[in-house]
Amino acid sequence: MIDEKAGKVLEIIKEFANIGAGSAATALSSLLDVELMNDVTTCNLLPLAKVPEWLGGAEQIVAGTYTYLCGDLKSGILVVLPQESALALLNHLTKENIDLAHLTPIQTSALKEVGNICLCWYLIAVSKMIDVDMIPAPPDATVDLLGAVMDLPLASLGEKVDTAIAVHTSFKGIDRQFDGYFLMLPEESTLKLILDKMGEPG
Amino acid sequence: MTEPRSIGIAQLAIVHAPDQLVCLGLGSCVAIVVYDPGLKTGGIVHVLLPRAPPKCDVPEKYADSGVKKLIKELLSHGTSKGRLVAKLVGGAQMFSNLNLAIANIGRENVMEARKTLHEQGVKIVAEELYGSRGRSAVFDSSTGKVTVRTAFGNTRVI
Repeated sequence: MIDEKAGKVLEIIKEFANIGAGSAATALSSLLDVELMNDVTTCNLLPLAKVPEWLGGAEQIVAGTYTYLCGDLKSGILVVLPQESALALLNHLTKENIDLAHLTPIQTSALKEVGNICLCWYLIAVSKMIDVDMIPAPPDATVDLLGAVMDLPLASLGEKVDTAIAVHTSFKGIDRQFDGYFLMLPEESTLKLILDKMGEPG
Repeated sequence: MTEPRSIGIAQLAIVHAPDQLVCLGLGSCVAIVVYDPGLKTGGIVHVLLPRAPPKCDVPEKYADSGVKKLIKELLSHGTSKGRLVAKLVGGAQMFSNLNLAIANIGRENVMEARKTLHEQGVKIVAEELYGSRGRSAVFDSSTGKVTVRTAFGNTRVI
């Protein structure tokens, strides 16, 4: 089922990924008080099992922010920042030396907020395009092995999901660059709804 | 000795000495290791969820059906049920502030694995469980030892 739709969905996702990345860059620019552009945005539809590989291996350390949509659209959403990007962002925001193994409550909160802002701006872009309200639950963040960070998102969708919409964006400023990965794990009904709304009945 | 083979979610493997198996990045997932010290043969199943639904095509994904399949495969490799021992790794709670019923699925995975191992008469000899940190587990079939690493450098051998 999902395979047949994959091509169409990917086209649509590409459109809103670019818009979403643009909005996220603007929002992060004001949060960080630096000029940021979204440099490169790539999109993929991946089987869940391939996601850790796509992100560079299950054993690398990443910062993950997870939430889920409650409403008509059912989807898990995970924002992943590679270790260096998380360090650079937190250092810039808090002006403190960051030890990812022992984040202070303020630093954890900052990390959640960065993830939250990224994912909300993506959602706003999608929501405007398909004219459906998206209501994310309050997110939670953790810094750990990528495989471990992905366990709960995978478990909460169980057998209902086997495809992830994976978007990679490089944000570029004058003296810094960092990467953000945005993963959407939609239930089949959500994929169908997106297609219907975009005039491509699945 | 060859490089340890990586066992992903919903995968199962059996090895003989001196081969090794590794599960990378266990969060709420549980790696169930079952070993026959007499034959130096053992296996791992890497489960995501506690209980298999009635119609289930991937038994390795669930703790109850995964344990049963692992023991069955080990017995078909000539191991003796009386000698089998089990070790459990994983079951962490990675996101503790989410208002989701499933947020502590790791604990349920562990409970179900323990229950099924008990029903099958396989004794659990060591565990490295819970907490909020991810783990990687390397199983060495020549000794039966499992080396558990966390993200920020702690290593423990069970």
